[in-house]
Amino acid sequence: MRVDWEKVEIKELAAIISSHLQKNGIDVVLVGGACVSLYSENQYMSYDIDLVTDTPIKKITPVLKELGFKNTGGRLFENPKCRFLIDFPAPPVSVGDERPVSEFNYLNTQFGTICLLTPTDCIKDRLAAYFFWNDNQSFDQAVLVAKRNKINFPEIKKWAEKQDELEKYEIFKKKCRGEGLLI
Amino acid sequence: MLEPVLGNSTIEKVLFTLESYGQAYPLELSKLFNIPVNGIQQQMDRLENGGVIVSSMVGRTRLYQFNPRYPFLKELRALVQRAMEFLSEKEIGKYYRRRTRPRKKGKPL
Repeated sequence: MRVDWEKVEIKELAAIISSHLQKNGIDVVLVGGACVSLYSENQYMSYDIDLVTDTPIKKITPVLKELGFKNTGGRLFENPKCRFLIDFPAPPVSVGDERPVSEFNYLNTQFGTICLLTPTDCIKDRLAAYFFWNDNQSFDQAVLVAKRNKINFPEIKKWAEKQDELEKYEIFKKKCRGEGLLI
Repeated sequence: MLEPVLGNSTIEKVLFTLESYGQAYPLELSKLFNIPVNGIQQQMDRLENGGVIVSSMVGRTRLYQFNPRYPFLKELRALVQRAMEFLSEKEIGKYYRRRTRPRKKGKPL
């Protein structure tokens, strides 16, 4: 398959990378801002493809080299023609201080299947940044995901309670209601 | 927006910034709003002297935040939040949506 690295979109790239790694026996889960891009239909644009895997970086390096991505130090990979950066955050997949996430979503595309956080966990991941670092960008991203996907709000509330952040969850809920969501 | 009540627009910017980010320092606000740092410092001193905000040194930087002991803090923040609802999306995006979550070393901003 010929890929135009300069014009490739995030969903296409995530699928190409995920399936190429999978073909080589490397299972990955897409996390972070890229999930927001996919779930918000690019209303928020991330330029990072964050993939979590148990496979050591030294095994990933030759596989990604086949796609023109070079290890630039640590766990980051770049292709000079591509505007997206690939990062491999340390495992496990988790949101806040919740135990490792084990339920994922699978998006089928013409370029392959992407294993990623569920929309509910994606929101928890964004809200965690809002809770811990007061990051309003992340708050807006959580709202974007909530507007376009089926979300388990009681589960998020339970999780927020565990994080001792019910007050901030209520702000999120109020914002979602203001956007016309029935919670 | 709250300028007639607060006396000037700098103090409004200080309060909006503290409401958005939880903490701030004068040079940061000066760069963000392109206002002389002395003017910002003067308004922060005024708020600190009035007990509205408090400060502490972190390294060589004096960081300011709302004073949790200020008796009218809840009401003040409610007013600030209400006023911020009237800001344009462009203004919100430009001044009050800076990334505050961590960013790994080596990743471009």
